[in-house]
Amino acid sequence: MEYMPEFSVVRPATVAEAVAMRAADPEARFVAGGTDLVPNIRRGIVAPAKVIDLNGLEEIRKIESVDGGLRIGAAVTLAELIEDGRLRADYTGIVEAAGAVAATSHRQVGTVGGNLCLDTRCLFYNQSEWWRRSNDYCLKSRGDVCHVAPKGDHCFAAFSGDLAPALMVLGAAAEIASPSGGRIIPLTGMYQDDGLAYLLLGADEMLVAVRVPAPADGFKTGYAKSRVRGAIDFPLAGVAVGLRRDADAVVDLSVALTGTNSMPLMIEGTDALTGAPPDDAMLARLDGLVRDRIQPMSSTFSPPGYRRRVVAKLTRSLIRRLYREG
Amino acid sequence: MSEDPAMPASARLVGAHVPLIDGVEKVSGRAEYTADLAHRDALVGRIFRSPYSHAKITRLDVTDALALPGVAAIVTGEDCDVPFGVLPIAQNEYPLARDRVRYRGEPVAAVAAIDETVAEAALRLIRMEVEELPAYYDPEKARMPGAVELHADRPGNLERDVHHEFGDVEAGFAAADIVLEKVYDCAEVTHVQMEPDVSLAEYDAERDRLTLHTCTQVPYYVHLRVAQCLGMDTSRVRVVKPYVGGGFGHRSETLNFEIIACILARAARAKVRLKLSREETFVTHRGRPATRIKLKIGMIKDGRMTACACETLQAGGAYGGYGIVTILYSGALLNAIYDIPAVKFDGYRVYTNTPPCGAMRGHGTVNVRFAFESLLDQMADELGLDPFEVRRRNLLEAPVRTINDMMVESYGLPQCLDWVEEASGWKARRGNLPKGKGLGLACSHYVSGAAKPVHWTGEPHAVVNLKLDFDGGVTILTGTADIGQGSSTVLAQIVGEVLGLDLDRVSVVANDSRITPKDNGSYSSRVTFMVGNAAIEAAEKLKGILAEAAARKLDAKAEDIECLGEIYRVQGGQDPGLPFQEVVDEALAESGTITVKGTFTVPRSHQGGRYRGAGVGPSMAYSYAAVATEVTVDEDTGRVTVDKVWVAHDCGFAINRLACEGQIQGAVWMGLGQALSEETRYHKGLPLGPNMFDYRVPTIVESPDIEVKIVESIDPNGPFGAKEASEGALAAVIPALANAVADAIGLRMDETPVTPDRVIDAILRKERGRGRKRSAA
Repeated sequence: MEYMPEFSVVRPATVAEAVAMRAADPEARFVAGGTDLVPNIRRGIVAPAKVIDLNGLEEIRKIESVDGGLRIGAAVTLAELIEDGRLRADYTGIVEAAGAVAATSHRQVGTVGGNLCLDTRCLFYNQSEWWRRSNDYCLKSRGDVCHVAPKGDHCFAAFSGDLAPALMVLGAAAEIASPSGGRIIPLTGMYQDDGLAYLLLGADEMLVAVRVPAPADGFKTGYAKSRVRGAIDFPLAGVAVGLRRDADAVVDLSVALTGTNSMPLMIEGTDALTGAPPDDAMLARLDGLVRDRIQPMSSTFSPPGYRRRVVAKLTRSLIRRLYREG
Repeated sequence: MSEDPAMPASARLVGAHVPLIDGVEKVSGRAEYTADLAHRDALVGRIFRSPYSHAKITRLDVTDALALPGVAAIVTGEDCDVPFGVLPIAQNEYPLARDRVRYRGEPVAAVAAIDETVAEAALRLIRMEVEELPAYYDPEKARMPGAVELHADRPGNLERDVHHEFGDVEAGFAAADIVLEKVYDCAEVTHVQMEPDVSLAEYDAERDRLTLHTCTQVPYYVHLRVAQCLGMDTSRVRVVKPYVGGGFGHRSETLNFEIIACILARAARAKVRLKLSREETFVTHRGRPATRIKLKIGMIKDGRMTACACETLQAGGAYGGYGIVTILYSGALLNAIYDIPAVKFDGYRVYTNTPPCGAMRGHGTVNVRFAFESLLDQMADELGLDPFEVRRRNLLEAPVRTINDMMVESYGLPQCLDWVEEASGWKARRGNLPKGKGLGLACSHYVSGAAKPVHWTGEPHAVVNLKLDFDGGVTILTGTADIGQGSSTVLAQIVGEVLGLDLDRVSVVANDSRITPKDNGSYSSRVTFMVGNAAIEAAEKLKGILAEAAARKLDAKAEDIECLGEIYRVQGGQDPGLPFQEVVDEALAESGTITVKGTFTVPRSHQGGRYRGAGVGPSMAYSYAAVATEVTVDEDTGRVTVDKVWVAHDCGFAINRLACEGQIQGAVWMGLGQALSEETRYHKGLPLGPNMFDYRVPTIVESPDIEVKIVESIDPNGPFGAKEASEGALAAVIPALANAVADAIGLRMDETPVTPDRVIDAILRKERGRGRKRSAA
């Protein structure tokens, strides 16, 4: 980690001010907890001349009950999320995912918005300026070659946020502000599978909140994460499951993944698997759906084959757990 | 300090739980490490590092950088043509590369500037042109015919090959009932001491003097090398070691940045602070090399070993460093733990285009011990013998001179085994644990100081000075580098104990070459043993002087004087005796301020044999450890969880029980790191995880309950019977974990670290093997 270079910090008081500042200076970067941005600045990966500090925006620092569901401000910290009684009662998957992020100290400052917009990660990208220059940089930053797939022209840096899949299985929406107003889109619509341009947000747009509808009665959610150490590490693969059981059958099933692609993935086609218990036949069909979508690459220390295998195992055991609990 | 009622009055300080005497400064943040020292008037130093793995430098242009306002000096390989290296026989490294670079990250130039921003800008203006050469990251490739030599005098890029055979190995294998041979691979690991590298160098241009504050384990070696590389008389150099945040071997030789800081300071005629980033500290490396071990053991049915043959290949990195010592240790310490009648060792230390390896906790022995204890366990399994029984069948009987001429005089391994077996509930529990859980055992040992110093000067191996003055305080002057291991505390305990003084009457002044006597440094676990013995001698001398003074006052003979804590009186007499201060006053009246000196030298009898390479391995005493681990293996994710570790360590005598326990726990923890998750891999010579995020040191989440047993075999030559207490247990932890995994899931892990993906690979290989068998049937 190198020395922090100089940059200016501006502190908007309202969301409107914040997006206006960004519109005026699209190169400026938003910062809340700084757990993602600051290491990247110190490594010379990004060098913003201006940083827009969102910590003064009270309007996005709260969790509100809205329409039976929740509106979670983007500047709510992961620790606050974990401690919230409403989340602990009805949104277990979110709490489990937030609790799996990094370590205690990161969660005190890291935010919901930060985790959802987390820059994609790669062994060849998250390195010092000297390291990357010695390696002729990479497609994601200043270079022409992706060292993970040198023949292609696509960046395979992995999306590594834990929260996104947990929110997706609940059908969460993203509330986005911009100087021209704002929009609300499904959270799944905020991402695309491109390590370079993984966020579908305009330069003057800012994620201000996620809206999570109330889960249907009996809808259980959970999150499981593969990592080498029990703390600190980003997911090698992470899976969120939402499931409702009725008698001896799964009647609702949602599965979303992280860490395997450049975006969090909602697995489509799970509806067709419902109506049966999570037996080997059902889980094998689910494995197939997952296998078709995921594309782990050599962007982490652990090899892609391992991540491919473990995501299937994690999914199976999480579904069985939620089914048992249901 | 509270009295421990269990301790006899004659042993108040040694053998007790004594908190480190500098603990308060450390936990309160008052302790000043090198980076904390005053540096407002210092220039900022930065190093320009090679982006190439292997290249001839055809042009290095610093003109533009030097012209930048705020740049005080730029130095390059031109500024130092004296090579360095810890071993006088293998000095092939320059502080700043000259003509050729041999690894990515090698220092090429250095800048001193008024601040960080200017220094960074200057680095970007340095122009380096090269002619690239083939680079070798794999030692097998470096050894191939036709490979370009990294160093002109080393054909085949072989830094050193070792071929030792003791006893008749072929006859041993012929006599065996079972002979197994396997290959083991250990990934490169590094120290990750908490404090990144940093030096503060101040050049006094008017007087041509240099003062260096630096985070080292070996201030004396640094002093020598800095003087040598700068062409300065050693008397003009002063080296001070402030508080140091760990070393583990990283700092057991002079490192390039320390010399660079001095060269920069002299060029700038100023004070320069050179603080490396964590990444640069990783690149400075000197850790344990990637090692391939081919091991063959012969055994008869009852578990007795008949012979052992070991071939070891180490990817040593680009320069010599401690390399020769590492490869020699790998062979020498196949002995001195078990009674093996015949041992053959073939070692190959190869130059590769990666940062130089060096000494790391358990220097040279750890990877070979992993292989050995793993194979031993497997053979026990195949013969249907209990792992404890196999080890017991092969115990040494001390005192003994090993087949390779090392003297073992104390040997607590049997007691270590007994305790671990009992404490872990081995007999009742092994084989009866639930699915996915397993128990594993392994043993290890280590030296208590290398019997031969690196620099042969003929001087004693250790010197301690004591000063007693009018104030009644005893000051220990020592060059011993306390790097967190607690050497200052142990010396204070020893001196206080011999003199019968309270600990707070004793102070320690350590590591300022202007004040303290030379010490070879904190490595090879030499300090407690060697410096401890020197401290005893010094304290005994002082006690003699005080007894004579008391005798004069009491009108008695010195030999009749007894010391009861801080009271001196005539033995068996009824008088109240003399308080310490009165004895001191009397002693000083005779001579003024008293200084005494104690020394220690390992006798020739313990310095090993006369064959080539015999100098590495011999020690005056060896520590022993037995470790059992209990693990849970998740066959879905491949993740190994360590549930519990039992460790018994024979440290001879625990002078400081608290520190010993801490050191043993630390050894377990560091061993678990190498066993579970730590490894350095390279992408074309660039380390893939040069930070504390990607280089996975276990966190507190991975830390199991560790039960420590201190076994005290009371070594006849150690201070109060003490010997090594920090490195010995580390090596056993890794095979104990692998053996537990084998017990849990029936698979032998032959590669470290035992990461989840390696476990899954092993499971898949087994499944495929079964599949093949089925289809064949």
